[in-house]
Amino acid sequence: MRNRRLQALALFLVIVTSVSCLTHLSRAKRYYAEGQDQARALQTGQAVAYWKKALDEAGRACRRKPSAQAFTVRGLAEANIGLWREAERSFLQAFSLGFSDGEAWASDSALAGLAASFEDLDLEAPALRVYAQLVDKSDFKPALMVAAERRTNLVLARSAELGPDEKDRTLIALAKTLDRLLDRDFACGLYHYLHAQVDGHLSDLRRAYEEAVMARELGLPSAKIGRDNDNQLVYCYVRLQDSLPPAERDALRAAQARWAAKWGWRNDRTPAWKKE
Amino acid sequence: MARKDIEAALARGVEILEAFLPLKSWLLFPVLYSACVWAVRRVFDYRERILAWQVWLDPEFVRTKPDEFVLDFFGGNDALRREYANEITRGDLRVLRASFPALYSVIGLEDAFLKALFKSELDAADYRAVVVEFAARTAKARDDIRSAAADPEFWKALYVVAAEAASLGLHLLKDEEVQEMIVALIKGPAVVGPSIPPEA
Repeated sequence: MRNRRLQALALFLVIVTSVSCLTHLSRAKRYYAEGQDQARALQTGQAVAYWKKALDEAGRACRRKPSAQAFTVRGLAEANIGLWREAERSFLQAFSLGFSDGEAWASDSALAGLAASFEDLDLEAPALRVYAQLVDKSDFKPALMVAAERRTNLVLARSAELGPDEKDRTLIALAKTLDRLLDRDFACGLYHYLHAQVDGHLSDLRRAYEEAVMARELGLPSAKIGRDNDNQLVYCYVRLQDSLPPAERDALRAAQARWAAKWGWRNDRTPAWKKE
Repeated sequence: MARKDIEAALARGVEILEAFLPLKSWLLFPVLYSACVWAVRRVFDYRERILAWQVWLDPEFVRTKPDEFVLDFFGGNDALRREYANEITRGDLRVLRASFPALYSVIGLEDAFLKALFKSELDAADYRAVVVEFAARTAKARDDIRSAAADPEFWKALYVVAAEAASLGLHLLKDEEVQEMIVALIKGPAVVGPSIPPEA
């Protein structure tokens, strides 16, 4: 009789603990997904808030019942808020529990963290080498996106100090790198945004405009980047109009009017977020 | 809605929050104003939102722009065109480029937190002061929010203040009216020099 009670109690505890862990893990996944949705909608603050909640819940799930899924969700949340060292540890744990990509993701998170540390110490050359490595080799999207953005920023900043010929060569090489990234993932709005920025430096306004439009359509990781992309788009549109023959100019205006209506802009040059 | 009741609630809020934020004359404004806005909209994850400023303050957009883009930014904004008329005429890109990162973040991207942080300078059209103080003030804001955020009482106080103001009908006021009300309360009878943040 007593044994039965003990068994029943043990079973009850197992069920309660499992349900509780499942709840933490499922909450963590839900918050993480919500964060991704908010990020796509350019609600950076809310996205970060959800990723932090996902991190809390995943942390509880990891403590109560460690699993590859729980550590993976925790690592993803950590990567999204820039906690690369912590993400590395989480992915290694996930790998040890059976998540086969965990080792590679841990390695990429470690590299992203290392590059960020180099940048904090103003050591741009080694940071650039690490970012280049990630851009060429990584399949872990959060690290790849950060590396692409940081590498573009650093190369553009350096190119400003070069002579015209060397500057052009550097910018063309950078544009080719971004072309390769687009070949791998054409639906990534961030790569189109970065391409538009480099095209602007190369004075290729038509390509810059087209890339900025695609970036806007595909979505960008933060409101700030979205606004910068809008500014770039308007800048290219206005300057392109001046340089085009009348027929092409009319076509461009008509196209821009359609996009502006679709995006809810006040007119072809004024995004909704901008004060007139 | 009694405007005076709201004003009184916000005044109590300023008094309470002053205990938590050391640079009260200017950091209180963005914190309190944003909390009020969120309370009106019944958004309750204000803690995470305020902490997220730490992320927003780190610009992740591409900061190096072509010279033409920089010139277009200064020339395309009436107030900046007036302020930097000499530099634009001379084509002095050294000064314009040096001023660009701060002014583009505040004015070009219309960052709500940064606009609140530099409200006094923007109201006075003192754009050069924004440039001079940008790095120090944003770094200080980040540090101060971080230390205040470590105290759970800060969040409780902020919630109580914002919720009370919201319950009194804050939503019936225009954004600008609420802003002016908080600024007036923070400045108090003695006007603090707005362009020089204490200890910055």
